[in-house]
Amino acid sequence: MSRVTAFLTRRRGGPGSILGWHWTDIVTFGWLAAGLIVMFGPALWLILSSFKTPAQLVEFPPSFLPFEARTAVVEGFDEPLPLYVVTDEQGPRTLAEVRRVGTVAQMVDPANPAEVQRVDIADRVPDRQFGLALENYTEPFVHFDFLLYLRNSVFVTLVATAITLLTNSMAAFALSKYQFRGRNAVMLTVLATLMIPLSVILVPLYSIISAVGLFNSLWGVILPTVATPTGIFLLRQYMLTIPDELLEAARMDHASEWQIYWRIVLPLTAPALAVLAIFSVVWRWNDFLWPLVVLSRREVYTLQVGLNTYAGELNVQWQYILSMTVVTMIPVVIVFIFLQRFITTGIAGTGLK
Amino acid sequence: MGQIHLHGIRKSYGPVDVLKGIDLRIGEGELVVFVGPSGCGKSTLLRMIAGLDRPTDGRIEINGTDVTARSAADRGLAMVFQSYALYPHMTVRQNMAFGLQNARMAPAEIEARIVDAARMLEIEKLLERRPGQLSGGQRQRVAIGRAIVRRPTAFLLDEPLSNLDAELRVSMRAELTALHDRLGATMIHVTHDQVEAMTMADRIVVLRAGKVEQVDTPLNLFNRPANLFVAGFIGAPGMNLWPGEATGDGRVRLDAGPVLAHPGPAQPKGARMTVGLRPQHLALAGEGAITATVGLIEALGAETVVHGTLTEGGARVLAVLPGQLALDKGDTVRLGHAPAALHLFDAEGQRLAGADAA
Repeated sequence: MSRVTAFLTRRRGGPGSILGWHWTDIVTFGWLAAGLIVMFGPALWLILSSFKTPAQLVEFPPSFLPFEARTAVVEGFDEPLPLYVVTDEQGPRTLAEVRRVGTVAQMVDPANPAEVQRVDIADRVPDRQFGLALENYTEPFVHFDFLLYLRNSVFVTLVATAITLLTNSMAAFALSKYQFRGRNAVMLTVLATLMIPLSVILVPLYSIISAVGLFNSLWGVILPTVATPTGIFLLRQYMLTIPDELLEAARMDHASEWQIYWRIVLPLTAPALAVLAIFSVVWRWNDFLWPLVVLSRREVYTLQVGLNTYAGELNVQWQYILSMTVVTMIPVVIVFIFLQRFITTGIAGTGLK
Repeated sequence: MGQIHLHGIRKSYGPVDVLKGIDLRIGEGELVVFVGPSGCGKSTLLRMIAGLDRPTDGRIEINGTDVTARSAADRGLAMVFQSYALYPHMTVRQNMAFGLQNARMAPAEIEARIVDAARMLEIEKLLERRPGQLSGGQRQRVAIGRAIVRRPTAFLLDEPLSNLDAELRVSMRAELTALHDRLGATMIHVTHDQVEAMTMADRIVVLRAGKVEQVDTPLNLFNRPANLFVAGFIGAPGMNLWPGEATGDGRVRLDAGPVLAHPGPAQPKGARMTVGLRPQHLALAGEGAITATVGLIEALGAETVVHGTLTEGGARVLAVLPGQLALDKGDTVRLGHAPAALHLFDAEGQRLAGADAA
């Protein structure tokens, strides 16, 4: 631990310089801090906000931490009343609000509920404490088809990733290990599709899916996404590094072309496959536009599309959107945490950025 | 059975002819070494025999059957690659078993063959390791083991020793030769190292620029090189080659000056020729025909290699003299030779005459 601390607080400035800080230390730490804020600020803000009540979400100026209002059960009132700290000429005291009319609130002292006091709302602030609005999380699980959407999303992600790995590695195998006329042209064509965004082919793609009867089917979400130029390129670059002599040795060893692919090339491509698997999981999990186009029945919604149902025409239930966004982030974050070393080594191995 | 016949093998990559019509007969149980400078097509020729490349023209027969159109797997050959090409994700045992499993052999038979080969190559203790955990010499053994378990018609070895350090190479050379004797199988060994070729081969095939220059036993190549290329390529250090002109009376006047009697019938006066003389065939002699100025001396203990220049004319001369000599740079020495030790080549570089002196 002390070594970690020593590493993280290492500075260039020695004891001789002012306070032990060289100017490059300041720039470095400033730059790193800025990077940290840019990277983690939005995520942190999202997580904190997901624990806020709807009222707190729209308040201005916003608070950083989620709070909840303290309430008190006052004799003579059925519901718990919210508490406020009042500071006027009678001195600071905590009162419960009975009702509010315009800028004047009728309030009572919980200890003396008989006497109603009239307080200007400018003279009081809500009495709040740190508290998490956990109902943001529990409510969707009860009333929202979260588990159904989760199942759909998991199905789409896993199946699409499996098919992606299989088809892309087969294409990459052919494009890296076989010499045939037009090989480079095929590769260029595959890469060229990188330049065409989904929005351009959305309508024709929709026609195809609709024509083959995959509309409102999870397969309609899965199939058009499985062939990815990035995946083919990544795997091809990696397979180019596998020596041809291995394949020739396998050929001398009576291996069929399928066996060469399955038993020699695939196992050796494992690092690149891991990278593509991670990418594919993240892509398919976060997919929104295409599932939104294909899926129009609630039973087949994926999580991302399901989340969209909180954004109604007239009001947006931000608290649920935020909380469910946090939930949908979790698998992706876990994938990254556990597989990040594959990403760095795999990408370094393929020369891909 | 392990006869391999090549008939007029040609290979072109576009306009480039890599092999220009190769005819060769390799008999059963022979250890044949293909040797030549890099780019001579020796590895390409081996790959044709293996079936990894197809010849542009010509026919390959194994045991009398035309296999030119057959795939590599169906030729019954086994190959050891320069990089060994061991499957890095499999253990040694799996590496050796892979080919047999693909041939749908019974597991008990596979195991028996692996144990057999492992004992022969002394790699029993390595069977559960992966290639990455082996040293270069051990990988070499595993690669050979993978070939042995196949019980092939013939072994093809593509520069298998070139990745080993010098010491290991010498011992593996001897082991390969011993292995060949034990297995009695046909082996084709490709190398660019003529010492390797000389020490291992039953017969050597010298290749240059896609053509066979000479096929013969190592000693015949050394003693009766068919042309200037073979003369210069085989033997270390290389043969002294001096151009000259026949005087018409059975002698030759070197461009560098000296006049030497040449072996064989007298050549017509004025005919251009090249005289070859192995450095080992030169000796210090009081009345030797060749006078040389000593340039560089390599004292190897058992022998002394003298790099010098002919005093007349200044052509380079190389002499390997037995023992340790008290010579200094700049000394003038007289070198003699037996007339029969001379090799004579005509203007086209083809052998005219020469003795069989060893």
